[in-house]
Amino acid sequence: MPVDGMVAIGAGLAVGLAGIGAGLGEQGIGAAAVGAMAEDPDFFGRGLLMTVIPETIVIFGLVISFLLMFI
Amino acid sequence: MDMPGIFKRLIGTKPSEWAYVVSRVRVMSRKLIPAEEYNKMLNMELDEVIRFLEESEYKKEIDELGFKYQGLTLIDYALSLNLSRAYSKLIRISKGTPRDLISAYLRRYDIWNIMNIVRGKMFNFPSEEIEATLIYAGEYDEEFCKSLMLKETIEEIAKTFEGTPFYPALEKIVRVCPMSEFEDDLYKIYYNGLAGIKAETLDMKYFIDFIKMEVDIKNIKTILRLKADGASAEEIMTKIIPRGLQISEDEARKLAALEWDELIKSLEGYWFWEGIKDSVEGASLSKIEAMLDRLWAKKVLSKSHSFPLSVLPVMAFILLKKLEIDNLRIIARGKAAGLDVENIKEQLVII
Repeated sequence: MPVDGMVAIGAGLAVGLAGIGAGLGEQGIGAAAVGAMAEDPDFFGRGLLMTVIPETIVIFGLVISFLLMFI
Repeated sequence: MDMPGIFKRLIGTKPSEWAYVVSRVRVMSRKLIPAEEYNKMLNMELDEVIRFLEESEYKKEIDELGFKYQGLTLIDYALSLNLSRAYSKLIRISKGTPRDLISAYLRRYDIWNIMNIVRGKMFNFPSEEIEATLIYAGEYDEEFCKSLMLKETIEEIAKTFEGTPFYPALEKIVRVCPMSEFEDDLYKIYYNGLAGIKAETLDMKYFIDFIKMEVDIKNIKTILRLKADGASAEEIMTKIIPRGLQISEDEARKLAALEWDELIKSLEGYWFWEGIKDSVEGASLSKIEAMLDRLWAKKVLSKSHSFPLSVLPVMAFILLKKLEIDNLRIIARGKAAGLDVENIKEQLVII
C-alpha cells in the first residue's frame, strides 16, 4: 500500500511538473505568437503550431504516469 | 501572497513582456519600405511619390490629410502623423519594463513638442501651424500639448512643467535666454537622464552604450558643422552634450580647438572612424553626417539580432522608422526643389 501511494505521487509529479515546465516554455512563445498575429493574422497557423510544441513534454509526462500507474 | 523569488523570475517578467512587443515590432519592421524601392522613388516626380505613398503603409495618413493639403506639405504632415502613430503604438502595446524604457527613449518627442510649442508661441505662429509640427510619441499626449498651446505666455507654459526634469530649461527661457541654448539644454537633460539609467543586464548595457554613441554622433556633427561655419571653440562647447561614449567634454574641447584638416585627421581612433574613413576626404558635410548615421544604425541593428528579447530590437525599429521618414522627406523635398537624383541619393541613409 505505501508503495502504491508513492507511485501515485510519482505519477502526479510526472504530469504536474511537465505541465509547469511546458507552461513556462509557452509563456514566451505564446506572447510572441499573439504579438505576431495581432500585426498580421496570417501568422495564426504558424503561431499556433509553435505555441503547442512545448505541450509534447506534457505528453511524455502523461505516458510516464500511465506506465507508473498501470504497468 | 508574494510568489517565491525563483517563480517570480521564471513567470514574472522578461520573456513574455519582451516577446510580445518584439514580435509585433518585427512584423512592423517587415512593412518598412525596402532599400530597392528608394531607387524607384528617386526616378519619380513629386505627384508619383505621393501616389506611391498612397499605396503603401502611409495610405491612411495621405487619405486623411489629402483634402486639406497637397504636394510637399501633404507629404510632410502625413509623414509626421504616421511617425507619431507608429511610435505611440509602441508605447500602447507594451507594459512594465518595456514600456518604461520605450517611453524614456521616446521622450525626445516630448522635447521636440515642447520646443515647437515654445518656438511657435515666441514668434506668434497660429496654433494650427504649431500643431502640424507636433509628434505625439512621448509621454505628453495630444490633449496635453493642446492645453499648452492655449496658454497665453511662455511663463504659463513653464509653470505647467514645475517638478519635471524640463523645468530648469523652461524657467531659463522665460528669463530670455537664446532659443538655441534652450533647445540644447532640453537635449542635455534628455540624454543625461537616459545615459544615467542603471544597466543591470548585458542588453541594457548595450542600450546605454548606444545612447552614448548617439551622443557622440550628435557631438561630432555639432563640432563639424560649427567648425565649417567658423565658430569658436567656446561657442561649440556650449552645444556639446555631456556623457558621450568616447567624446567626453574634455575630448570635445580638444577637437573644437583644432583646425578643419587636423580635426578630420584626429577623428581616427574614434569608434565612428570605420564608417567615414574611406570617403571623408573632400566629402560634403551632409554626406559625412549621413555616413555617421548609417554606421550607428548598422551597429544598433547588428546588436539587436544578438539580443532578441530586449529593448534593442525595439530601438532598431524606432531608428529604422525614423530613417525611413527622413529618407522620404529628403526625396520629397529634393524633388520639389528640383535637385538631381545623385544629389538626393547622397543624403539618403539606406541600410
